[in-house]
Amino acid sequence: MLPCSWGLWRSAIHTLKTFRASPSARGLCIPTRAVCDAETIFALSSGHGRCGVAVVRVSGPASSMVLRNMAGLTQALPPPRTALLRRITDPKSKELLDRGLVLWFKGPHSFTGEDSAEFHIHGGPAVITAVLQALGSLEGVRPAEAGEFTRRAFHAGKLGLTEVEGLGDLIHAETEAQRRQALRQMDGELGRLYQDWSYRLKRCLAHVEAFIDFSEDELIEDGVLNQVDSSVRQLETEIERHLKDERRGERLRTGVQVVIAGATNAGKSSLLNTLCKNNTHTQSMTHCRANPHFNGQPCMSALSHTPKYAFFLMTKSLFLMVEQADLTLVVVDSTQLPPDPQLVAAFLQQHLSTVLPSPEAGMTAASDKVLLVLNKSDLVPEEQRERTEGELRERPGLPPACFLSCSTSTGLEDFLTVLQSRVKTLCGDPLSGAPSLTQARHRAHLQQSVQALNQYHQYRDQDLALAAEGVRLALTHLGRITGRVGAEEILDIIFRDFCIGK
Amino acid sequence: MLAQKLHLLRHNVLSFVSSRTGSDFTRRQYDVIVVGGGHAGTEAAAAAARLGAETLLITQKIMTIGALSCNPSLGGVGKGQLVREVDALDGLCGRAGDAAGVHFSILNRSKGPAVWGPRAQLDRERYRQFIQSELLSTPRLTVLEGSVDELLVSQPNPEEPGHHRVTGIRLVDGSHPILSSSVVLTTGTFLSGSLFMGQTTSPGGRMGDAQSCAGLSYTLKETLGLRVGRLRTGTPPRIVKESVDLSLAQLQAPDKQPTPFSFLNTHTRCKPEEQLPCYLTHTTPGVERVVRESVHLNCHIQQDAKGPRYCPSIESRVLRFPGRRHQVWLEPEGLTSDLLYPQGLSMTMPPELQLRLLREIPALHRAEIRTPGYGVQYDFVCPTQLTPSLQVKSTQGLFLAGQINGTTGYEEAAAQGLWAGVNAGRTALSLPPMALSRTQSYIGVLIDDLVGRGVTEPYRMFTSRAEFRTYLRPDNADLRLTPRGFEEVGCVTLRRYKKAVSVRDGLQEALMALQSVALSSTRWREKLGNISLSENKSTTLNGLDLLQYKDVSFEMLASAFPECLSQYFEYSQRLKIEAVYRPHCEKQSREMERIRSEESLSLPSDMDYLSLPVSLSQEVREILDRVRPNTLGAATRLPGMTPAGIIHLLNYVLRTGQRNRHTEHRNRSSQKEGEKGQLCASNIPISQ
Repeated sequence: MLPCSWGLWRSAIHTLKTFRASPSARGLCIPTRAVCDAETIFALSSGHGRCGVAVVRVSGPASSMVLRNMAGLTQALPPPRTALLRRITDPKSKELLDRGLVLWFKGPHSFTGEDSAEFHIHGGPAVITAVLQALGSLEGVRPAEAGEFTRRAFHAGKLGLTEVEGLGDLIHAETEAQRRQALRQMDGELGRLYQDWSYRLKRCLAHVEAFIDFSEDELIEDGVLNQVDSSVRQLETEIERHLKDERRGERLRTGVQVVIAGATNAGKSSLLNTLCKNNTHTQSMTHCRANPHFNGQPCMSALSHTPKYAFFLMTKSLFLMVEQADLTLVVVDSTQLPPDPQLVAAFLQQHLSTVLPSPEAGMTAASDKVLLVLNKSDLVPEEQRERTEGELRERPGLPPACFLSCSTSTGLEDFLTVLQSRVKTLCGDPLSGAPSLTQARHRAHLQQSVQALNQYHQYRDQDLALAAEGVRLALTHLGRITGRVGAEEILDIIFRDFCIGK
Repeated sequence: MLAQKLHLLRHNVLSFVSSRTGSDFTRRQYDVIVVGGGHAGTEAAAAAARLGAETLLITQKIMTIGALSCNPSLGGVGKGQLVREVDALDGLCGRAGDAAGVHFSILNRSKGPAVWGPRAQLDRERYRQFIQSELLSTPRLTVLEGSVDELLVSQPNPEEPGHHRVTGIRLVDGSHPILSSSVVLTTGTFLSGSLFMGQTTSPGGRMGDAQSCAGLSYTLKETLGLRVGRLRTGTPPRIVKESVDLSLAQLQAPDKQPTPFSFLNTHTRCKPEEQLPCYLTHTTPGVERVVRESVHLNCHIQQDAKGPRYCPSIESRVLRFPGRRHQVWLEPEGLTSDLLYPQGLSMTMPPELQLRLLREIPALHRAEIRTPGYGVQYDFVCPTQLTPSLQVKSTQGLFLAGQINGTTGYEEAAAQGLWAGVNAGRTALSLPPMALSRTQSYIGVLIDDLVGRGVTEPYRMFTSRAEFRTYLRPDNADLRLTPRGFEEVGCVTLRRYKKAVSVRDGLQEALMALQSVALSSTRWREKLGNISLSENKSTTLNGLDLLQYKDVSFEMLASAFPECLSQYFEYSQRLKIEAVYRPHCEKQSREMERIRSEESLSLPSDMDYLSLPVSLSQEVREILDRVRPNTLGAATRLPGMTPAGIIHLLNYVLRTGQRNRHTEHRNRSSQKEGEKGQLCASNIPISQ
């Protein structure tokens, strides 16, 4: 399962490439009409990874339009809540994407209380990606934000007050997962690109606002707006080029990120080599790298199928790496364990707190992201090992621990089983991966940003307040990727760049 | 006799005294007491009286009521919007500006009507006279000269939140207290104020006026335990007009046709041809040299600890942006005044150096100073301790407005004064307090920013602070505020209300008439001549669509369809603006709705966030505990607040709302209570 999952994600990148070429060009053709009163959203509602059937949910006023367009229903809609086997096609190119079940839910009798539709399609990533891309190309339809379906259900009164508490936790979990993912992406080249755009757009807005608020009283050079004109145009060109450029998408993280952490000589490199040497894993492990230069305190290596990304991470601080990882393998030298099995748990607890960031966050939160590998088990007396294993099994506060000997491969099978089930859970978790969804969300916001910047040029000479509105809107959309920008931040730039009196 | 009645305008004294009976002189009980006679105080007193509250305005010197302490001008970009809104709520400053203006201009004329800034240079004397005579003729309003020694507080009303309740004031020389249900403090720069010039400092809030007594400051800080901060401001030297070589400055003419501030006025008191010009000149490297040489003699600048982001004085300008030319406006102080006000030359250096500095500017090379510039440092009450009705959270019946809340500017003070006066009046009359939404007015933006975020530098209004700038325009302030001001708030007189309603109906009719004329774009081109329409030939466009085009004016359409449109000529400019902005405002309506529903969910001010039995992180609890947001909307705007935290808070509020419906009822208008059902269905803020 483990190689499968990794291999699967690799193939997903390729399918992404093929399917992106057309939608990216198409995406720009979305008419510049603003999103109307209630937007229609879509998302993959079933888990990621290999599965038999995947469910894509659509909710909002345009759901019936989506259903007609995607399932070729020219006439009446199917009766509500009745499954119908249809050919699912791309609404623009009419290309066949899949055959699957479609369901129609007329509001308010749906999960969200709005008009909704469901597509039950085959679970391959290629199919899923194609359907999501096709949905994103429809006007007035956009990828859902984290927890948005649930939130809409809440607003429609579909969830009782007592369920709200749960919703809060859910949104917390979702945004937490999103935050981790964003952190990962923001750290890379893509993140720097978005941040750069956001910074430049902020400056553009600050200069337009300064011109509006202060040019009559203060000395603001006439060239300010001309500079903004060219900056906005430059930004538009860059974002548009980015939207067309498929290669950048590859740099997005799309797999499970595993970090191997442990003290010097605990056997991290040996573990990596063992995993790579194991025949069944060779294929997916060719890109694995260990960094031999890390010999500081707790030393660690990263495993990822995206070599550039892994390399980039190596230069960052250690805790940051662990925080961003989906899974951390903490390698411990078994010979260092206390001989008395009763003391082992406390020892490991203490050890983890030095390796993992924010130990006060509680082991329960971290434990499903952490596996303990007790290496060099061949050097520990068998009897002591068994007693320790028994002791650790009764400690729910600790992450699962596996005894393993990298030199004799003893315990490797058991360790792989645990590792595989962990990775499977992570891949099945709609929040851990979801690269296509994240990308689709970014695309949507970037496209809306570009459209809003058009408004700047449209009104530049006619009405500067409306032109500024375009820049504000563009920044709002970009801010949904990079973080919100408040009025005070704009004023900071104004007062820094211009001399404004009382 | 302390109850020395208003006797400043000799010709008015008789009518004034005759309108009062002798017993009024010894009255010791009012609904509302307003302390301070500046822009905030006069608006507060007038608003409370309009509402029907028996009001007393106490000021140190009756003669300085309505005095323009600093610049002789009103309005501007952002500030002009505030003046229009104060006027729409029947405040004084708009009409006073029309009566006192001697140079009218609309700033930003080329940048779109949403950001037009109505502005006027004022005649100081006329402004003061207008404000004083307005107050004099306001029923239920008494003016008293005196200095307030202390605020009287007692145990709070247990049914409402707060630790204290204000019961009145005691004057410095007064043996007996004057009682009231609410008190509005508008002390400006007089709260622990000190004046700075060169290396000398003296206590006071304005040069030439007595310092205010320490008692009030003590009550606020010690008795009520309010957190205060310190801010600074300054004013430039006044220059003798004759000594200025105006031929070396650039003439700035006013608008040919003055535009009144007030919705009630069709023209200004000053005739177009009587207007006075302004002059523009610039600083020189010599000015920078004098500033640098005098830094060691300048206490005010050396103590610049707070460091506002903008540059309040010429010293901070040249120190922060060296090597630049800075603008200096030479503004008239009035029709008969022999002084000029050098806008942009606020300074605090010793007087002899001020003269040297001025004379480095060519037009001022032989300038004479009448009164030198000086700096003021004063206490302000951190405004996060206030509710959106501008009442101090911990003290029932105590309202603050103006510079005491950390703002700067006449317009900002007037706006707060009006709203504090409204709520002081409502409290006294046992009506629930009211808040203005930031989606509806700049006054709402101002107050929400103050009470929700606090200040670190004197707060000034900019249009960039308003999210819904395209809707909060100077042209539609009457439609936004006047009907509500009459129907719900009670601060608008019937005469103004009727006028606003007739304008609203007229505009509505005109818009419908415009929509009723629909032609193909080909036919439009035939009718109107050579205009560029982007739509293809067969598209049908109505008059409103057409009015969105840059080159199309209402007059053009009216001449094409005189029978149905010519009767709406008086609205031509407003119709054009409405047509251009309406589609954009409609796009924003959903976002406005969201903000409004958040604002209507109030959070109890005595909530114990640290031990609230809901799942909130310690970090979020501490943020909430520190800022104590008034509404869920304010909470969502706090940096560091998480979406999950908002949901938990919402859940808590809805639950406790169900349990204590009757107590919460007091805090919210009954109409908002009715909307509770809809809140579940509306969009809740989830910031990403």
